[in-house]
Parts: sequence; C-alpha cells; structure tokens
Amino acid sequence: MSISRRKFLGWVGAAGLSTTIGKPASASTNQEFAGYPDSFAILHDTTLCVGCRSCEAACNKVNDLPQPDRPFTDLSVLETPRRTTTKTFTVVNKYDNLKKPGHPVFYKKQCNHCLEPACASACFVRAFSKTKTGAVVYDASVCVGCRYCMIACPFEIPTYEYDQALTPRIRKCTMCHPRVIEGQLPGCVEACPMEALSFGKREDMIKIARERFRKYPDRYVDHIYGEHEMGGTSWLYVSGAPFKELGMREDLGTTPAPELTAGALSSVPIIVGLWPVLLAGIYAVSKRKEKIAQTEQEQAAASALDADRFEPSQPEEES
Amino acid sequence: MAKGKSLRIGAGISVAIIILLIGFMGVFDVTAVSKTPVDTQSTEFRPDIVFFDNMEAFGKLEKTKAVFLHDQHTDALEKKNKDCLVCHKTENGRMSPKFMRLKDVSREELTKIYCDNCTKCHTETIAAGEKAGPVKCDDCHRERPEVQSSRVPMGFDKSLHFRHYHAQKNQCDRCHHEYDQKNQKLFYAKGKEGTCRYCHKEAPTSDGTEKVISMRLASHSACIDCHQKTAAKQMDAGPVRCAGCHDAKEQLEIEKVKSVPRLKRGQPDNVLIKTGDKKGRIPTMMRVPFSHKAHEEYNDTCRVCHLASLESCATCHPLVGSNKKVKNGREISLKTAFHKRGHQSSCIGCHESKQQDKNCAGCHASMTGNPQKESSTCLRCHMVPLPERTGELSTSRAAKMARLMPRLWKETFGPIYTVDVPKTVIIKDLVDQYEPVEYPHKKVFDTMVKQLDNSKLAQYFHYEDATLCRGCHHNTPVTGKPPRCGTCHGKPFNTDYLFRPGIMGSYHQQCIGCHQKMGIEKYTGCTSCHKERKKQS
Repeated sequence: MSISRRKFLGWVGAAGLSTTIGKPASASTNQEFAGYPDSFAILHDTTLCVGCRSCEAACNKVNDLPQPDRPFTDLSVLETPRRTTTKTFTVVNKYDNLKKPGHPVFYKKQCNHCLEPACASACFVRAFSKTKTGAVVYDASVCVGCRYCMIACPFEIPTYEYDQALTPRIRKCTMCHPRVIEGQLPGCVEACPMEALSFGKREDMIKIARERFRKYPDRYVDHIYGEHEMGGTSWLYVSGAPFKELGMREDLGTTPAPELTAGALSSVPIIVGLWPVLLAGIYAVSKRKEKIAQTEQEQAAASALDADRFEPSQPEEES
Repeated sequence: MAKGKSLRIGAGISVAIIILLIGFMGVFDVTAVSKTPVDTQSTEFRPDIVFFDNMEAFGKLEKTKAVFLHDQHTDALEKKNKDCLVCHKTENGRMSPKFMRLKDVSREELTKIYCDNCTKCHTETIAAGEKAGPVKCDDCHRERPEVQSSRVPMGFDKSLHFRHYHAQKNQCDRCHHEYDQKNQKLFYAKGKEGTCRYCHKEAPTSDGTEKVISMRLASHSACIDCHQKTAAKQMDAGPVRCAGCHDAKEQLEIEKVKSVPRLKRGQPDNVLIKTGDKKGRIPTMMRVPFSHKAHEEYNDTCRVCHLASLESCATCHPLVGSNKKVKNGREISLKTAFHKRGHQSSCIGCHESKQQDKNCAGCHASMTGNPQKESSTCLRCHMVPLPERTGELSTSRAAKMARLMPRLWKETFGPIYTVDVPKTVIIKDLVDQYEPVEYPHKKVFDTMVKQLDNSKLAQYFHYEDATLCRGCHHNTPVTGKPPRCGTCHGKPFNTDYLFRPGIMGSYHQQCIGCHQKMGIEKYTGCTSCHKERKKQS
C-alpha cells in the first residue's frame, strides 16, 4: 500500500465538500416539471356521483378483466370499503356524509396518474413511464417483479399478481391509454351517466372545477384534490365533504415523490465511488499503523536482545 | 505523534460518515398520520348545568370552573321541604338569581360566598347521614367534568306572548318597561313596547349612567320570580326548573296557541316602502307595497325583521350607505338591508332561504348561487302601480295606494297554470343498453303546480305560465314550445362549451338531482328508471 496519508485526507475532504457544497441533486428529475403541456386529466365530482358502479363495469369490460363474483348491478357491494386489486382497477367506495346524514358520498378510487410518478422513479428498469396523454403506463416485458412501485406509491394503487407463478405482472389503471390515443374516452368516463367524471385537458378540468366552486359555493370544499398533491396528478377530485372523510390522504404535501428521493438517490454515485476509497483508506491506515507498531516492536525487541547479549548501557554522564 | 495523527484521521472519517448519514435522513422524513384519541368516557347531558364562571370578570381563573347542577339542588331541597331562599336572597320582594348575594362583590368575597356556603351545606348534610355534594376543592373544580350541557336557548314566540298577555289580563306593564334616567326608575310607556333584547343584551351594557343588566339576568329574575309567585297562588304557572325552559324535550311540551291574534302595537296593515328620500328626490325604483300583516303571520317574533327596534326601517338604515364610523345598522343602507342575500332579516335573504325547502330545492338547488336577476323579477316587488283605468290611482297618494294593495296583490298572485303540456315524453336519445324512457311529463308538471298551493310566496314569484317550466327547460325562451334538450346538450366535454354537460349527463343530473333534493325516491340503480333492453338474436 503506497497511499500517503496526505493524499487520503485530500480525498476525504473533497468528497465531503462535494456533498455539502455541491448543487442540490437534480440527477434525473426536472424540478419545474408541471406535467406535459396539453396532457389529459379526469375530474371526479363526488357531489354528482350516485354510486351506480357503471364505471367499474366499464373498466372491467375495456380491460378484459375477469367477471367478479357479484355483478356490478349489486349495489350492496358498496357497504364495505374496497381497494384496487389485480382484477379491479377501480373501486367506488361509499362514505357517510357527516354534514348531511342520509346522503352518502361516493368516491372512485384508481391510479391517480401523478405528473411525476413515484412508481416510475422507484422502478430501476423503467417499467413505468408517464406518457404525453397523462397516463402512467407499465411495461410488463421489462419488469423484474421487485414491487418497489407498490411501496413507493403514496396512494397504494399498484397490485401484484401473486397468483401467477410464471408471468406475474403489476396491475393498475391505465387511464385507458390505448383508447385515448385512438381518440376515445376512457371507459369509466364514457360510462358515467351522471357526468361525475369529466375528461379533457388538465387545465380545462381545473377551470371546470373552479367554475363549479364559483357557481355553487355552498356545495363544495374549495379545494381541487390532485391539483398540487404529490406535485399534481392527472386525476382531480372535488367534493362537498372534507377529503379526509373520504379516506383520502391530506398529509402528502405538494412535493413530487421523485424530488423527495432525488437527494438521497443522487448521493448513490458518491457513496458507490467513495466508500471503496474510504474503506480502503481506513484499511491502509490501520495496516500502516500495525506495520509501524510491528517494526517498532521488532526494533525494540532487537535492541533489548542486543543489550542482554552485551553489557547494559551505562547512563551517560552530564558534562 | 503517530497516535495524534491517527486520532485526527479517525475524526475526519467520522465527520464524513455523519455528513453522509444526514444526507440519508431526508429519505426517512415520512410523517406518520396521527390519530386523535377517541374519547370513550361516557358523558351525561343535562340542561341544568351552571358553570360558576363569574370569577372570570376578575381575570384568569385559579382553578377550573365549578360545575353546578341546578335542578338536582332544587329537587333535593324540595324533598326536604325547603325553598329557593336557602341559596337565594330577596330584595324588594323579588328573589335574586345570584347565589347568596344581591350585588356583585369583590373576588375574595365571592370566593368566600361560594366555597363557604357550598361546603357548609354539604358537610351538614353528610353529618346528618345523607348523600351530599363535594367538600373538597378539586371535587367541584374538576379537570374534566363528567356532565355536558344540553341546554337549548328559550324563545318567547308569538304563542307564548299571547298566553302571557291573556293570563295577565292584557296588562302589558307587568313585563314591558322603559327606564327613566331622571328619576332612575322603570316605568311603563304605552305604545313603546318592544322585545326585551332591544335593551337587555347578552352581556350587561352601560347606558350612560345606569348599567343595563344582561338578558340572562333579566329573564331569570323576572320570569322565575313571577312563575314562583303565581304558583304560590295555586294558579297555573310557568316552569321554575331549568329543564322547564331549557330542555329540548320539555320545550316541545309547552302549549302552543294555534291561531294567535295579531299583536296590538299600532303597526300598519300595509306599508308602501318609499324608494326616494323625504326631500322628494326622484326615486330610482318603483315603490314597494308591503303587507306587514301577512308577514306577521309568517314569523314567530317581530325580532326576525326588526332587529334593533320596532320603528320603521328608515329610522336606523340610511338611504345611502356610509363608510363613516357608525354602528348599530346605521352603516347599512336601506337598499342593502332589503336586498342582502343570506341574511334572514332582509327581504331577499329570507325569501331565498325558503328556496331551500324540500319542495322548492329540486329546481332551485341547481340554479346558480349568484343569479343575474331579471328585471321582471325586480318588478314583482317594485310594482308598477295599477293602471289609470281603475280611476282610483289618479291621486297616487301613498295612503290610497296602501288601501288598494290587497286588490293589487290579488291581481298579481300566481296564474292558474293551464298550460297544455304533453302527457308523456319518450326519451330515446340514448337507447343502447336500455329501452327508451317514458317520462311522465304531465305527472311531474302537475305535482309541481300542486306544490305551489302550499306557499303564497312561491305562487307570487312563479307568476308566468312558463316560470315553473323553466325549472327544467332552463335558458329557453318563455313562450312557445321549448326546444329539445339535445339542441344544446350534445357530446360531452366539448371544449367550446366547457361548462355544459353532455346529453346523458344533463338528463341524469336533472332527474336524479331533483329527486335527491326533493327526497322523492332513493336511487336504487339504473333499472329503477330504465327497462333492460332485450338483446335481439
């Protein structure tokens, strides 16, 4: 090991500086990203939803999903809260209206298609991508089944086909990406009889929501859920009841998920590069210490042996 | 020397590691959703809770407010054949609602009055081998009271007023009074009666030299005193216990007089509300004939409209609003006072609140919160005087006009809806999964017309043949056959008409929305309206 102490400390200093002074990580994210221009969005107006489950039926049909045990016309299903599964990409849940008892609120749950998706940033094989239509789509051919996306998603949406032994996939709403690029409406939107789901440019959906707030101020909570949550989503929600009462998280903040992890992830190269050097340095230093100690010991031992063999040295007298 | 160097190297390494770890911390910055603890403690609700909070007048309380259950004490004393005077003192033959004193005293004295008297009685009762309240400080001044107040405010409505008026043999002076500043005396002024709250406010107020007691003190001393004295004469008397007035259930048991005769306070039958000022400035709008008599019937108290006095509106509200520092309604112009939305005391505010009624909400709920009123609606109140042909209006004097009003209204009241409407309408725009809908158009129309019978107000404002129709056929010309819904509502999400629902959305929003608002039928799935279409094979 011919690494000088001066050199080693120099490296450590440089590494420390680069982590503290260096530009805040902007590794692979564009911080100003506000969604693709003219991308689509869906606005779910819970004040209009009557819980007919037509959207669920349509979703099942357009995605060729297996028929459920109970038919979509069976509204008693709504009595128990459900979550998305590999066979149902969307569920409508019923919540008590605390403000108006007897008038339940219905909330449709599916992938929110974040503008900067956490699933996509967590996926190291790039199986997820945010398309220009607004949909977050999944490519099963590259997926390795790590399920990081399931942990990353703040809305707990992606589901995994645990029952598939050979070709398990992640399953979630596609925002009907194949239909949208053909100029068709997403299945659920097309089926909604109440027009509780509106489809169009994201800016237009926000305009519609704001117009409804203006027209009927007493009917709505003045907030568009998804406009800024997690950096914004392509599904937007307006409601008369506080979103918390519909089981929607209000603690998510407005920072997109990739931005939260970018800082830590950007330090990966430094760690990968630095740790071998650091550990090797520590190793070298300790080795060097041992070596010095050993030689000193040997010298001492040798001199002691010499002294034994010859006469003990006399203390020199001061002159 | 070598040892010192290695120490420094070690320190350098640990600093680098710490820096890296701090970088990592950001990743774990996940905030957990905190759950609010559920209060499992069962609490009793009582109407008779009195919080001893009068000490708050002296600043911050040393201990938590003591909770006192008044009816419990009244009942306990009654059992022992003791009366209210155990705790309350009397002055000039009238019992004070204050505890063991007549006037407000200093902090120290007040503490002594409460603590000494309460514990004294409790200790004596316990010594006699009976159950009694606390004798230790913290048992009264609890951190968390086990009881909660279910007290509801008591109102003196028309019926109750009439019953008192009748029982007192028309002697208004038994309750109504004015204050004479000079002689410092209460006196009765005939024709000046008003509601108690005009002078007695929530908190005591200072009216120049004399302090005006709060409504709470005034009502408790006057009402209870009279009830007690009446009961003592073996006569039918009102409640003396807290629950008698302040318990929701017991309130319902208070007898209601069905048809209350009009109050006699010199009020007019009809008023012509002027729109100009006295100087004869040209009015901008037609004057409004107003039936005072009819509105008396619709409301429970005078205070609904007469917020601060029984004088005419213009006594307080100026013709033109002011941004000067004036109070008590003087900063609100007459125009605002009459037209303010969402305020129960204004004409429009009260009328609009009636639109929330179940029978009206079907149409009115979907109308925008801020409609551009049509000029024809303004003219419903700001009436064009009767045409000259009647010959009676030639003088156009207010008094004459007022006399004419009943006739005027009769002519303007709701039309008889004799419009010829189709019996059924087949809606087949959306035939796909389901058969066409047979919409019972006439049945719906007839129901709506019938609803009008229940409300004079509704009759008055649904004045044209087509006013009712516009609940569904909105934004369409009043005359003639309305265009089909599909004329405007087509494919959904048309960016040219961003806020306009598509055809399917508009049908369902209209029908289901109205049914929900009017509480007609609970939605039970698509087949409650649609017949499933049989597949042709």
